[in-house]
Amino acid sequence: MKPYLAVVLDSFHSAFSSRVLWIAILAIWVFLAGLAPIGYREVYTTEFRWFDLDNGTQLKAMLARGLVDPNEKETALGRIAQTVPEETRRSLEKVARGENIRIDLEKLSDSFNESLDDESWYDEKAWESTVRLKELRELDEIPDDEISEDLRRRRARLRIEAALPGVFAAMSSRSIMLSYAGFDFPAMFAISKSQFGTVVNQFVVPLITSWLLGFALIFLGILVTASIVPEMLQPGSLHLLLSKPLSRTMLLLAKFVGALAFVLICVCQLVIGLYLIAGLRLDLWNPRILWCIPVSVFLFAVFYSVSMLAGLRWRSSILAIGLTCIFGAVVLIIGIVGGYFDGSVRMPDRISRMAFDGDDVVVSTRGGELKHLDPETNEWDVLIERDFRRSDLIVPPVRLAEGQIATAKIRNGRFNLYGTGSLDLLMLRRESEWELEPGLRLPNGTRRFLICDDLLIGVNNAGLMATPLEKAISTIRPEDEDDGDDSEEAAEESTGSESTGSASGMAAAAWMRDLLRMQGGATDSFTNILPSGITLTEPVRVEHLPELDSLVVYSRGRLVRLSLESVDLEQKTTASTEADLLLEDENAARSLLAASGRSLLLSRQNEPLQWFDADDLQSKATLETEAGETIVSMKGIGQSGRFALLNTDGDLSLVSLRDGALVREPMSFGDVTAVDYLSDPGVLAIAHHLDRIDWVKVGEDGSLTTVREIEPAVSGWRSVDRYAITPLRTLTPQTGELSDMVAALVSGKSSFAIGQGQPDDQEVVQYKIARPVLSCGVFIVVMLTLSCVYFKRRDF
Amino acid sequence: MTAPIVDVQGLHKTYRSFSLKGRKNVNAVRGVSLQAFPGEVFGLLGPNGAGKTTLIKMLLGVVKPSSGSAEIFGQPIGSSSARARVGYLPESLRVDRHHTARSALRYYGRMSNMAADQIHSRSDELLKLVGLEGRDRESVRRFSKGMYQRLGLAQALLHDPDLLVLDEPTDGLDPVGRNEVRKVIDRLRDSGKTIFLNSHILQEVELVCTRVAILAKGEIKGIGRIDELSENSDSRLQVDVHLAETLTLEDQQTASQWWEQTFEQRFAVQADSPADPAIQHLTIEVQERPEIDWIVDRIRARGDSITRLEVRRESLEEAFMRLVGSNEGVAVTASPAPVAVTDSTTVPAAKEA
Repeated sequence: MKPYLAVVLDSFHSAFSSRVLWIAILAIWVFLAGLAPIGYREVYTTEFRWFDLDNGTQLKAMLARGLVDPNEKETALGRIAQTVPEETRRSLEKVARGENIRIDLEKLSDSFNESLDDESWYDEKAWESTVRLKELRELDEIPDDEISEDLRRRRARLRIEAALPGVFAAMSSRSIMLSYAGFDFPAMFAISKSQFGTVVNQFVVPLITSWLLGFALIFLGILVTASIVPEMLQPGSLHLLLSKPLSRTMLLLAKFVGALAFVLICVCQLVIGLYLIAGLRLDLWNPRILWCIPVSVFLFAVFYSVSMLAGLRWRSSILAIGLTCIFGAVVLIIGIVGGYFDGSVRMPDRISRMAFDGDDVVVSTRGGELKHLDPETNEWDVLIERDFRRSDLIVPPVRLAEGQIATAKIRNGRFNLYGTGSLDLLMLRRESEWELEPGLRLPNGTRRFLICDDLLIGVNNAGLMATPLEKAISTIRPEDEDDGDDSEEAAEESTGSESTGSASGMAAAAWMRDLLRMQGGATDSFTNILPSGITLTEPVRVEHLPELDSLVVYSRGRLVRLSLESVDLEQKTTASTEADLLLEDENAARSLLAASGRSLLLSRQNEPLQWFDADDLQSKATLETEAGETIVSMKGIGQSGRFALLNTDGDLSLVSLRDGALVREPMSFGDVTAVDYLSDPGVLAIAHHLDRIDWVKVGEDGSLTTVREIEPAVSGWRSVDRYAITPLRTLTPQTGELSDMVAALVSGKSSFAIGQGQPDDQEVVQYKIARPVLSCGVFIVVMLTLSCVYFKRRDF
Repeated sequence: MTAPIVDVQGLHKTYRSFSLKGRKNVNAVRGVSLQAFPGEVFGLLGPNGAGKTTLIKMLLGVVKPSSGSAEIFGQPIGSSSARARVGYLPESLRVDRHHTARSALRYYGRMSNMAADQIHSRSDELLKLVGLEGRDRESVRRFSKGMYQRLGLAQALLHDPDLLVLDEPTDGLDPVGRNEVRKVIDRLRDSGKTIFLNSHILQEVELVCTRVAILAKGEIKGIGRIDELSENSDSRLQVDVHLAETLTLEDQQTASQWWEQTFEQRFAVQADSPADPAIQHLTIEVQERPEIDWIVDRIRARGDSITRLEVRRESLEEAFMRLVGSNEGVAVTASPAPVAVTDSTTVPAAKEA
């Protein structure tokens, strides 16, 4: 190996004598020097920003109620409502009168910010009835004369949040304030330190890798190294080399490895520099950043393999550079087209929720479509078209009765918890050939349905809204009918004639009712069965326990079992609280809840899985998840006390309790997009590979038996993707996807979910790791083989 | 008999090329057979395009023969073991610009699997030998062609090879440098090394080579010691004659014909008359020794005196010209010679491919 090592070392020697290398090194050091003064400090999250106000409709209604309802005058809500500026107050009063007034959220957030400095609105008694987080309870214990200004402002913010539950986005208590050379950045990042680390690792580092390492340095590297092979082929050089006792193949490979020296030298400096800056200046000591070095060199190897073959064939560095650039452009275009197909064709077709009725299948997709599988053609019929702005939200469809499936479409529901306009139960009936028909008017913000025996329960942030199932089934309204009794527009109409009057008597009662409806409260058809004293604050999860005739509610760290026995819709009696548990730690973290038999499984981000006895809500066992793993869906498998877990990688696993300990076993399914349990046939419905569905029976021993396979026919753009784009992407190295690999390596996660909301809203990002490595690796091997065969056989 | 170091048997090389006009085959080497023995300085001569470099490339394993066989040290050409014992100086050495003479020697030494201390000591020795001592830390960017050539010679000798293949070793060197290279070659020959020399400079070949092969149109036209290559049967007789009787003015003007008549039209005569009309310089083409005796007798019979008589043998250059043909002889120093191609067209071959 000694002679070949000499060739490799000579390449380093050659690289160091290159002026371009020194210019690149200088540029890298200037860049690092420019980056070095960056710093950060952690501050308490105090200031409100307009986009923290997650649910404008509810906030508007709550503040209006606080202003006009005499009962709220001395409550926390009423006291906060009194602090809004005069102009906003007038607008809120109009809202209270039923007028459809838009409130400037920025003005509201400014108003709250002013309230942070002057806490005259605070009254200890008034806040006693609010749901106070652990952090607020601890801060409340600090005497006023001992609390620091930052903590006082933080406490004030938490008090405002407690007074207006459910309207603010869940924020971490600490924010990151970036600074440069000692000067603070104009805006702070309202994210925790760990979130900041995630942002840096998952977005900033891959961005730098893509542009600085993946583009600039690769191009520079090709410019410098393209001449290596043509120069070697000069007669006075090549004949001497070939006269030495060397293998031609090994000589060429040594030259190839040696050419990587240039990029290695530059990348090492840049990446190690970034690693040190991130560590020393931002306290983000993440040795995984160093993965960028081999990945960048690997990426360069793809391009250099082209340059080398071109240099061998035509013995011209100019031609080698030109062809490499053309190759890079082709790969880029294929990557862009492929990415477009991923985002616009494949991803939107991923099934997010399913409902079955015999052979009929209705699914909602990530792209916001509602589709019915035509059993005759085996093709999807689109019931609700894709919303290209992707702002609408399809409420997961549920089977109400034989031949009847229900769903709902919340306009702008992705960005606004309650959406805009009225919300109808959308009925799909076999007898109407699965055409959409409007049913009952739903409470605002209903995001999920539960069927509990003879009740249809709609879950929203205001409560658990129940209606008799029979009523939901039997109510079909003509398309153009609008009874208007629940909508904001209707509220405006019905109260318009009395809007100039004061809030008194019947009119005041009507306003209150309308305001409550605006907040997602009870309607004529739906009754809130959530007991008073329980407030739903995101993250909210609700599960049905048929065995105990109960519902289990998880609301930002609070776990409650509610018995449905006491529910009487006629009498408007609510469910009764049977067990109540307050969990500590990060209550705002992404959470999932599943029920099976008398067991509950709770998953909270960055915490172990917790197994509870549903009777008394006592924690029975915990199980650590894999580092960096994010669970996106959990389903109880009937009453068996076992659960199916789906993570962001699309892997399914089975969790069960054995001998008092939780055991997790992988299920042989990959690329799973959704999972559901069908109690009637007693099977798991597993949606995988975009829109394929398998029904699987899970045996007592965990064995899986597929009982039904649904593989819809593809057509249109999906066909183009399957038969043209995918083969093209398979044949070309997917260099663009290597930044995915960097993100995965640096963050230690192969996938992640964006969005803290309901599982149905979450964008799951799966990094492509195997494909770019495989496609680029195979490409390099093919190009090197061609080069070696050419070099070995050719007379020079 | 000693086994040859280089043993070439019926070596052929055909370059094939493809273009829109069709396939074209160029026979660069056609059935060459030769041997070089230990301690020999073997010269390879030929006009441009004769196939010399192709032959050397085949010996070094750079180009694969189309047919025939060749061995170096009893090993097939191209084998690593054969190449390990060969030192090669290419015609125009190219050393990467980041090197100094010493770092280049270190690089080439490593390629020959030499140990670091061995490279160091041999480098000192050779840099002194080729006259680059004191300039060994200088970048090769500043080197003249002659210095490159010296460095090339040093690298060829670095691993103490048993066979040296030198392609135009004195190219670019000044007369002193050429003399030094010749001395090095002499010394290496004396130490038992075998040298395969490819050169255009016939005088140089004449001075250092023990045996020579003349190559033209890819074929060996002559091979052997230089005196063997010269044509013994075709000599040139030069005679200075002091005439007993001065020629008439008319005869002086046609002196050559006059002498040819005198010699009964048996020889071609070139007669030159210096200022003195009594003196004649005759150049006569003869083939056999008795003919010289007959001419002497004839002149003496006329009563003329012979003041000088010299029988001149054929030089290497003349032998070269004769063997490769007069047209090709011009091409040695002037223009590329044509080579035959199998599709009966003729293409210029500036240098072997």
